Amino acid sequence: MGKLILAASLGLTCLLSTATVALAEAPGTEDPNNWPQYNRTSNAWRYSPLDQINKDNVSKLSVAWIAQGGDITMGIQETPLAIDGVIYSITSGNRVAALDAKTGQEVWNYQPKLDPLTKKVLFSPYSRGVAVGDGKVFIGTVDGRGIALDQKTGKEIWQVQLTDFANCHGCNFTSPPVVAGDMLTFGSTAGELATQGKIFGVEAKSGKKVWEFNTIKDDPKSWPGTSGKYGGGGAWMPGTYDAETNTVFYGTGNPGKDFINEDRQGDNLYTDSIVALDPKTGNLKWYRQEIKQDVWDYDSAYEVLLFKKDGKDLIVHMNKSGYVFVLDKNDGSIENIWPVSDLKNFVKDIDKRTGELIGRVELPMNQETLICPSTFGGRSWNAGAYNPNTGLWYNNVLDFCGYLKPVAQKDDPKDYGTGHIGASDFGRLVMAPDGRKPGRLDARDPFTGERKWTHEMDMPGFAGVLTTGGGLVFNGDPTGILRAFDADTGKVLWSFNTGSGMRSGIISYAVAGEQYILVPSGWGSYAAILLPALFPQLEKMPAASTLIAFKLPK
Amino acid sequence: MMYKLVLMTIACIFVGDAAYPQENVPNLKDPTMIAAGHDLFLQKQCSRCHGEGGKGGINLARRALDPRGVFQAIADGRMGSGLRMPASRDVLTDEEIWKATAYVMSISQQPK
Repeated sequence: MGKLILAASLGLTCLLSTATVALAEAPGTEDPNNWPQYNRTSNAWRYSPLDQINKDNVSKLSVAWIAQGGDITMGIQETPLAIDGVIYSITSGNRVAALDAKTGQEVWNYQPKLDPLTKKVLFSPYSRGVAVGDGKVFIGTVDGRGIALDQKTGKEIWQVQLTDFANCHGCNFTSPPVVAGDMLTFGSTAGELATQGKIFGVEAKSGKKVWEFNTIKDDPKSWPGTSGKYGGGGAWMPGTYDAETNTVFYGTGNPGKDFINEDRQGDNLYTDSIVALDPKTGNLKWYRQEIKQDVWDYDSAYEVLLFKKDGKDLIVHMNKSGYVFVLDKNDGSIENIWPVSDLKNFVKDIDKRTGELIGRVELPMNQETLICPSTFGGRSWNAGAYNPNTGLWYNNVLDFCGYLKPVAQKDDPKDYGTGHIGASDFGRLVMAPDGRKPGRLDARDPFTGERKWTHEMDMPGFAGVLTTGGGLVFNGDPTGILRAFDADTGKVLWSFNTGSGMRSGIISYAVAGEQYILVPSGWGSYAAILLPALFPQLEKMPAASTLIAFKLPK
Repeated sequence: MMYKLVLMTIACIFVGDAAYPQENVPNLKDPTMIAAGHDLFLQKQCSRCHGEGGKGGINLARRALDPRGVFQAIADGRMGSGLRMPASRDVLTDEEIWKATAYVMSISQQPK
């Protein structure tokens, strides 16, 4: 009998081991208890395989702890990280904190002394996250530095000035670097700045800058005359590092001047593109430009998702125009292109085979032209989430438009607070002409765009989406309402008022056998400044910088 | 009541600031000055946040504003309610800031 129990136990152990190994090999399920990088896994799915919180019990979620991030200027825009029971968070003014993931209690904090010029520049003082690796916490600062901290103590290990902050119209870092083996890559802001946006390669151990990649190609065909001098571009969201091919993929920003293409009658490479770089050298492996000679502010800086499907390695990538590009990961060739919304008039369509813009609408000087989607895009920068169990990609969709009016503007990189945009504003926002609701959460096949379900909203979503192994999708809105959806049907299963609008990334992690949903809440960013013109109820929305952790009651 | 209290608090912050403009406030109702201020308002993209006629996301048309406070906000920037306005002292002269102030006052609610 004893032998039988032993044999049965061994059998069960083998079965469990096998199950664990099988689970570990499934894409998106690696390191299940942690959220160790910006989009959790290197395929950028924003999927947590944790399933303790599920459809049956999500209605019982309760607040476990709350932590305050300090300065609330421009709200909280980060996706925090969770690694082995510690949360790594960055808030306004590049304040970094390590928190106990069970209690929210601060373990250490660090705040760099920032260049006073950060008070004048266009993109400051917010940050969208930190990166962790090699026992260090890495940040990109709003005055253009890379800094490494000791992961255990928060003490500074090295720092390096990467952008020519005072001379590049305040170009800086508003996103974390990408850990690419023993290298870090930092993408700078630029699209609305009188500069050339760069991606930098830095040794993770020492902080030594090894290379820089200019997102403005030195090519007179692409940039006639001197038009490339302040061509913008840049890469202001984190890229994706693919260890399998040792490639870092970045989406790049829009060309400058934003709304005027009179003097830049070329492709304007490598703006509004995906660039595939060797992280050791910065050498360009391939690129795919998605929006040629952009005049609508349709940055392509968003997340780069990786898939293996039917023996092919694929990339799925959305840009601000709302078109999704499905590409071959190895050379950027086009597999498919589909739009997240039929509310689009900047082109008649994009050719699904060649990527050519068909019937583009130009913007006459000194006149308003109605363009859909607005400069906020068909979706904002806040990432969607893909769930391998449902095969669905969940994204907020913005269904409103804007009137764009280009006007003459002098180039002045010392005028830090004025955007190099060739306009007086980012467009006068208006609702869709057909009266539809201004936003929705869509669940779609990422390769074909086929829609499984949708949840329409009077107030569109501007936060990152989370999906989980518990069959759930979490999404927040600018009024602070956090909702949990059934990932299969879109039915709202739970909601909670976080007290301030949401503009950041929701994550999930587990510590001591309990699953948590961690939600940054704190309205801010240019959305908080611009959206009240269209949604007056947001004018009084209080700002904040709060992390709220939820779990099931014991 | 709460709104008045907030306005008074903001006013006190402005009065207490050492960078308060010393010169006399010029005639902000001069139409030439208002027109020049409107041009600057557009050129410097104040309209980015405030809208072309001051009715944008940060609506000026519904606010009762103090001219010296407006001057100071344009010159030195502002942070409040989680939002941030960049400083323009390095790119505008005092005379230009007063012109922009004149335009802002012309579209805001006048104090009774």
